[in-house]
Amino acid sequence: MIRRNISEEAGARSDGLMIVSLMFIAAFTYIAFTTNPVYTGIGVGDRVPELEGQIYDGGAWTDFKLEDSLDPLWAEGDGGTWFMIEFMDTNCGYCQQQAAEDIPNQQAKWLGDNPPRSTPDNVTVEFLAVSISLWESGTDGKSYGRDVIQDFRNNNNHNFPYMDMQDNSHQDDWGGFGTPTYFLIAPNGIIEYVNLEADSGYTVWDAMDEKIPRGE
Amino acid sequence: MVAGLECFDPNLLPHLAIFALGVAMFTPLGESLVLPAFRSKWPSLETKLGRTFGGLLLICFSGFTVSAHTLWMHNKSQEMGGGSFCSAGTVCDCASVIGNNDWNTMPYLGLPWGLLGMLAFAMFMWLIISMAKEPTASWVLNHLKLGTNFGILGIGIILYLMYAEYEIGKICQFCTVAHIAHISATIGFFRLSNMYGSSDWNVSGNTTVVDVAAKERRKRGGYVAPKQASEEE
Repeated sequence: MIRRNISEEAGARSDGLMIVSLMFIAAFTYIAFTTNPVYTGIGVGDRVPELEGQIYDGGAWTDFKLEDSLDPLWAEGDGGTWFMIEFMDTNCGYCQQQAAEDIPNQQAKWLGDNPPRSTPDNVTVEFLAVSISLWESGTDGKSYGRDVIQDFRNNNNHNFPYMDMQDNSHQDDWGGFGTPTYFLIAPNGIIEYVNLEADSGYTVWDAMDEKIPRGE
Repeated sequence: MVAGLECFDPNLLPHLAIFALGVAMFTPLGESLVLPAFRSKWPSLETKLGRTFGGLLLICFSGFTVSAHTLWMHNKSQEMGGGSFCSAGTVCDCASVIGNNDWNTMPYLGLPWGLLGMLAFAMFMWLIISMAKEPTASWVLNHLKLGTNFGILGIGIILYLMYAEYEIGKICQFCTVAHIAHISATIGFFRLSNMYGSSDWNVSGNTTVVDVAAKERRKRGGYVAPKQASEEE
């Protein structure tokens, strides 16, 4: 007569589970020790999401892709371009205030041929404003369009490019947030600062001063 | 480069070797060439059931290792922002597939496909190991059903991933090996299901009352009270 031995049956399953778990843990440990993945996102330490669109640099609207200006293999000490990216709305009161007060001072400090804030010869800094829409088009008192972007840039004497993202297509990759939102991007595309998770009073300008290397 | 070998990557060799050994267990050629070396160590390979379990286990193990390899490549691509890991061919290019952020993770969950592969093959291996250790257990049929159903479900996922490769316009050889291992494992589960209940499933040394009593006696180092008259020796 054959009688099932329940404890042996359970033992076979737990033995199998143990063997498989050991394999899994071994493989996972190896992967964890030999790789250091960086995921795309909008937090500090994440790889910056894709940003592609048309920019206005004072002359004409041209295509721009942020990825083309980044070097994934960049390491600290190498040359490269740091990006300060501001997501703004031309109708946002605080953005208007920043555009008129802080940003002209900062562009004078960082941009141009011989900026007062020194950087190593092979390090450059770029500003990019991304114009998004906080309000629906047609909302009373809120105007959108490329003419509005051009006027906004020219009236504030900005000398850096503005990207037209008023269709809010950035939200698929970047998510939704208010304006102004500032990002500091290292030459390898890693986000070094975002005001959404910064300490109160620590601005993007402070982060730039701290993180971008100084020249001789 | 020899025509037709553009897609071959030497890094695939260990996975392919394990897979080939697993498949060999099912063929008469493999039986005569490969098995004699293992028979002395694993006598269960003498039976068709034992060989099927062994072959299936090796196939799943190759799927597990190649899935782990793709997860490693996925992490590396995230680390370096893309790169070339396979032969830089025109069609066969794992970097373009595994490094493609639009397709390289599971929808909604966001987990890399390699991780899903590892989990799936680990589950298959668990099902096989437990059945191989206790082929007469009450849950064997459930394990067979679970294996075949998950196998069929996995084929649906493979079709989705093949569509992804079509959309990207590249083929990843490592993913393809994992897909082939999965399909082979599914076929293996069907084969096991056919064997279940047939004479092929007859296992020598069944767990009988006498075996149990003897084991108990060994464990307790002495007398084990018989539970029914037939157990008395």
